[in-house]
Amino acid sequence: MLRISGLSVAYAGLHALEDVSLEVNEGEFVTIVGPNGAGKTTLLKAISGSVRAAAGRLDFRARDMTTLPAHERAALGIAHVPEGRRVFPSLTVLENLELGSYRRAARSRRAEGLAAVLALFPALAVRRRQLAGSLSGGEQQMLALGRGLMAAPDLLLLDEPSQGLAPRIVEQIFETIDRIRRERRLTVLLVEQRVVEALELCDRGYVLETGRVVLAGAHDALLSDPRVQRAYLGV
Amino acid sequence: MKRAHLLHWTRGWVGIAAIVAIGLALSLVITERYHHRILTLVFLWAAMGLAWNIISGYAGQISFGHQAFFGIGAYVTVLLAAKAGVTPWLGMLAGALVAVLAALLIGTPTFRLAGIYFGLATLAYPLIFRIVMDYLGYQEVAIPMVRDRPALFMQFTEPRSFDLLALALLAATLVLSRLIEGSRLGYSLRAIKENEQAALAMGVDAFRCKMAAYALSAAPAALAGAIYSHAILFVVTPEAVFGVLVIVQTLVVCLVGGVGTLWGPVIGAAIMIPVSEILDSTVGDRLPGIQGVVYGAALMGIMMFAPEGLFWRLGRGRAAAAAAPAPAATTAAAVEPDGATTRAAVPATSSAVVLDVRSVSKAFLGLQALTEVTFDVRDREILGIIGPNGAGKTTLFNVLNGFLLPEHGEIRWQGEPITGLSPHLVCRRGIGRTFQVVRFFPRLTVLENVMVGAFAHGGTPAAATARAREALARVGLAGRAAVTPSGLTTLELRLMELARCLATAPRLVLLDEPLAGLAADGVEILSAMIRRVRRAGVTVVIIEHTIQALVKIADRLVVLDQGRRLAEGLPGDVTRNPAVIEAYLGQRWLARHASTHAADLRP
Repeated sequence: MLRISGLSVAYAGLHALEDVSLEVNEGEFVTIVGPNGAGKTTLLKAISGSVRAAAGRLDFRARDMTTLPAHERAALGIAHVPEGRRVFPSLTVLENLELGSYRRAARSRRAEGLAAVLALFPALAVRRRQLAGSLSGGEQQMLALGRGLMAAPDLLLLDEPSQGLAPRIVEQIFETIDRIRRERRLTVLLVEQRVVEALELCDRGYVLETGRVVLAGAHDALLSDPRVQRAYLGV
Repeated sequence: MKRAHLLHWTRGWVGIAAIVAIGLALSLVITERYHHRILTLVFLWAAMGLAWNIISGYAGQISFGHQAFFGIGAYVTVLLAAKAGVTPWLGMLAGALVAVLAALLIGTPTFRLAGIYFGLATLAYPLIFRIVMDYLGYQEVAIPMVRDRPALFMQFTEPRSFDLLALALLAATLVLSRLIEGSRLGYSLRAIKENEQAALAMGVDAFRCKMAAYALSAAPAALAGAIYSHAILFVVTPEAVFGVLVIVQTLVVCLVGGVGTLWGPVIGAAIMIPVSEILDSTVGDRLPGIQGVVYGAALMGIMMFAPEGLFWRLGRGRAAAAAAPAPAATTAAAVEPDGATTRAAVPATSSAVVLDVRSVSKAFLGLQALTEVTFDVRDREILGIIGPNGAGKTTLFNVLNGFLLPEHGEIRWQGEPITGLSPHLVCRRGIGRTFQVVRFFPRLTVLENVMVGAFAHGGTPAAATARAREALARVGLAGRAAVTPSGLTTLELRLMELARCLATAPRLVLLDEPLAGLAADGVEILSAMIRRVRRAGVTVVIIEHTIQALVKIADRLVVLDQGRRLAEGLPGDVTRNPAVIEAYLGQRWLARHASTHAADLRP
């Protein structure tokens, strides 16, 4: 479904990603782990189109999208749930969700989508008229997830949904992600610092270290590989 | 290099001499009274523009209320003459003095505001003066006619006299501006304009520098107001000298010509004043109001095609040529073989404590960024501070160098408390720092960037230049001194920032993620440089979130997690510490791999 080959991204001469190649198959759940500053967020931004590739190529369903602008990539069915949630704090929960269905394919089925998302997150249904800024961190993360789902995407990009949340809430969020993707047959690309939680859920994983892929494999193989720790701690 | 500097030095003075010579020549050639009036106005508005340029161009503190000083100069001079019979020659000096005092009074509260808020606040002062003048009954103050001693009371019948008077003021303001440009104050002001935080961290006392610039810019503005009253107005009204048209004319002259340079306001005045006067006298009487439309259109054209001003627009091609890439790889020469032996050469544990951090806490809006952080830094060690995202590493540096005030705790540097000291004083005590994202001064050359640091302990510009060159040579950037930072690679920027920090002659440097985003060879070069800095007797504290590179150069590591000190010790021990592994990889990873760690910990 998604194939990335030789991708490099640089910010003002700073190499954020260097020669990264990976692929995600239809219906797969792929996780990318790695320490802070490894380039995980940049990788997702390069896929959704908010940063430009300096080199390399991105294909989505056998179509070259390397030069497509972000909104056209969204129209292809790629939804990006960014790091730090980025909900619109002065809009209500409902308004936030409705903004998610901006994509044409989703607009026509907005009501169904909304009902489905609210069923998925009962906590949001209760607070639907509340301002998003007044929600707790976990609820905001659910709202960000729900907003991503409102676009009825085929590929969901999730950037550190666990960030800044208590462990119990993180568990809930990961459970929800797992449920969504089984129910909706979604393809998911998750970026996480929490190694075990993320790797346990997924089919395959990649380990990113200072802008390069240093390890790749099935989730159980990575879980027992001490080299993952080396990527984080250097020893 | 000396010759180039001399050339640069003389170029300014030659330019000023040329302007004065052209001004004199025009004044002698022109015969018509009306043309003399235009010439006087050109000189006066150029001088007024230059005055504004000192605070707003060099220091970047945009003042929308500079006519306050223009008006003070006018009123003080004219009132002294009308009420006390004081000659305006003395009166305008008194006016300048009052304006300087007013600038100090206005600046004290107003410079507490930053950026656009400063500009908005300055709008208020001329409005206040207008109201005060109305209240005191000075709605119209006529200059008293003294027919027997016209020269003593600045009442010339020969129109050339006013040209020359205004030209003298212009020349004096040019000389003042040129002296500021070349002084320590000038470099400090430009650094404040480009990046105030970085300037503070380099030991620049930003508040005092701004006050000095404000006071210096008030005096020529007041003199311009006094001369303007005698040459043009004859009857001083609040509207004419405190009114919005005064500042509009000043801004027009500066924006058209270019801000932050000697020549901009002169160019702007030489073009816009004659244009406006000629429009007034040619089409203005046939189509009333058309002169404003044409004037506005000319202004819009400038804003669209040369928004940085004509001087910068025309000068840019030349500057770009000067910034042509110098031979790269200058940095490689600076690197010498540097093994791990140096670490053993400095036994970290036996050294004296130089920086003592005791239970420091800091919170932002309820978020506890640092909680009771305690550690010490020993003389001439390389201490690494690591921790996952949001651990509080940069906050810790900001507390150490005085950007932030901790709620709680104490910091002692060489035995003396420095908690709550302002950043420029921390710098002058010998603690330098760099930033996570390099904070350079984009319009200053690499050499000038480093000079700002070199001025931390005073001295003449020549001495600072020498110290800056030495610091650049130390990091291997001597070949890049003349370019602006935009032409540097990330590695070179980091080296430049390190040189700027070293130029402040620090005993301790705080390096905020110096290795982030560098390629492998860049990490090598910078690591070698950091070891050299330490060998020269400077203690080093480094923040990094990637541990790999740090493990190779640090003597000891302190680990922060969620604002707390999690561990401290030798790199090998710290990276095996279960608490550290948990902070980076999570509790469940630790549980899964507990057996292997246990094996690691066994001898």
